[in-house]
Amino acid sequence: MTATVLFVLLLGVAVLGAPLFAVLLAVAMMGFYSRGIDLSAVAIEIYRIADMPLLLALPFFAFAGYVVAASRTSERLVRLTRLFLGWMPGGLAIVSLVACALFTAFTGASGVTIVALGALLYPALTQDGYGERFSLGLVTSSGSLGLLFPPSVPLILYGVIAQQLGVGPFFAIEELFWAGLLPGLLMLVLLSGWSLWTNRHMARPRQTFSSGELFAAVREAIWELPLPVFLIAGIYGGYMAVSEAAIITAAYVVVVEVFIYREIRICQLPEIMRDSMVMVGGILLILGVSLAFTNYLIDAEVPMRLFNLIQRLVADKIVFLILLNILLLILGAILDIFSALVIMVPLILPVAVSYGIDPVHLGIIFLANMQIGYFTPPVGMNLFIASYRFEKPVAELYRATIPFMVVLLAAVLVITYWPQLSLFFR
Amino acid sequence: MTTSAAPRGLRRLQQILHRLEDLIIAGLLTATMGLALYQIVLRNVMGAGIVWGDILIRLMVLWLGMAGAMVATRQRKHISVDLVTRYLSAGWRRAAESLTTLFAGAICLIAFYTSLQFVISERAFGSLAFAQVPYWVCVSILPAAFLVIAVRYLIQFWLTLTRSPKAAS
Repeated sequence: MTATVLFVLLLGVAVLGAPLFAVLLAVAMMGFYSRGIDLSAVAIEIYRIADMPLLLALPFFAFAGYVVAASRTSERLVRLTRLFLGWMPGGLAIVSLVACALFTAFTGASGVTIVALGALLYPALTQDGYGERFSLGLVTSSGSLGLLFPPSVPLILYGVIAQQLGVGPFFAIEELFWAGLLPGLLMLVLLSGWSLWTNRHMARPRQTFSSGELFAAVREAIWELPLPVFLIAGIYGGYMAVSEAAIITAAYVVVVEVFIYREIRICQLPEIMRDSMVMVGGILLILGVSLAFTNYLIDAEVPMRLFNLIQRLVADKIVFLILLNILLLILGAILDIFSALVIMVPLILPVAVSYGIDPVHLGIIFLANMQIGYFTPPVGMNLFIASYRFEKPVAELYRATIPFMVVLLAAVLVITYWPQLSLFFR
Repeated sequence: MTTSAAPRGLRRLQQILHRLEDLIIAGLLTATMGLALYQIVLRNVMGAGIVWGDILIRLMVLWLGMAGAMVATRQRKHISVDLVTRYLSAGWRRAAESLTTLFAGAICLIAFYTSLQFVISERAFGSLAFAQVPYWVCVSILPAAFLVIAVRYLIQFWLTLTRSPKAAS
């Protein structure tokens, strides 16, 4: 009884905007207290963060992403992709999708894609004759595209959480990176196809293919071009551990942007470092606290009870997957991706595994659903960032993103019910 | 911003402390990156790195995270479920804010106390984490960070309470 009251109270402060880590911390403490365990157990659980080698990748990729976002990489990226693809009819829409996906994968879907790339692409799209609503919808919904491509921070975080849970077959983080590849491409292809079809009556773009221009753009971006190559070769090729790739990437990006392009002054670096660590700190604290929270959940056999309950109600794997999709879409609209991962993966993973769903596949399903959540009303973060950036009312963005949401929902269904797409490279 | 009510001297002190905090984070991140790069070079050239290097790097990541969380508190950037505050009037929003900051401050104060107890007992026990570094030193970031976070939330609580309703909107 008291527990229920406390739980409702905690839910209340959470909904009123209390920091999530404090709410989880309170739950964990209540759990330990009720079972007579000394509360210093919380400190021991948080300290376990220092035992996770994979976590090393997080601060360095985050820092590299912030450096890239602070420089003019976005301009060079758009210029280059435009020269490659912009001459086709509907090319600029595809340019936008590809550039946003690459940028988001690298900068960790923190909304910076809309700020950095959307600001370039939105005027370019409308100038090229794309409708305003289409252009707005495109840049808003592309802000989370690329979440499934490495080295996206949510992808790594899922790997960290799933690995430390130790439920189901063990997988290496590289497997998760491989698994995101085809589903991510599917989203890109579907969105590109839809963009081409809906703009099929548009005049051909004025941009023509010129090898001189292309040479100039390549030369301009020459120092950043190796970045995806050595990331891909390093991670997919197995030459580097993910954390090593993160460290080398961060160091390389600093050298290139500060000393070669000179777009970031050395005295700006402490501020960029601080801002990236604020993001990392927010995630790590929630993660650390959730270790204590999860420990409580497991000791209280919550996943077990949840599983029994669901098993009684849902016998079929397909039905379970349908319910999972609905649940994740709702969660994605309410919670941000990091808290959703930290809270829900420990609950869902054991249940999903017992329905025979591969943990790697579950990760891709989870993130694909969450990606839509970024621009789902009422609280999709990217809606507000776009509304702020493009000075449009949020309601207009709701309408503008609907077709893109429908296309991505179709992609999510394919990803969910066709596991081979995610597990192709196994 | 939130400190507009504080006297000038206090505000200056706060600015210096914030700057110091930023520089510590930058220094720590640079050091971690340097050590990690050095480890990679050693491993690939010499075939073996510093034995406790990886443990130290992981520990530094924890410290970085906690320091980042301290700054996140000051910048009000902690992840939260912002479901209803958007739709509240200024007065209700203020009430919600004072409730949530007080709650967070109190919880962090408990976390500070319990993790301090943990550090003290570990110190008495005297085990080593790696090389010659005692375990309790490594853990001491937890009470330190929780204390700073708790104080910050309690200051925010106080400011929310005392701020005039006009300034709140």
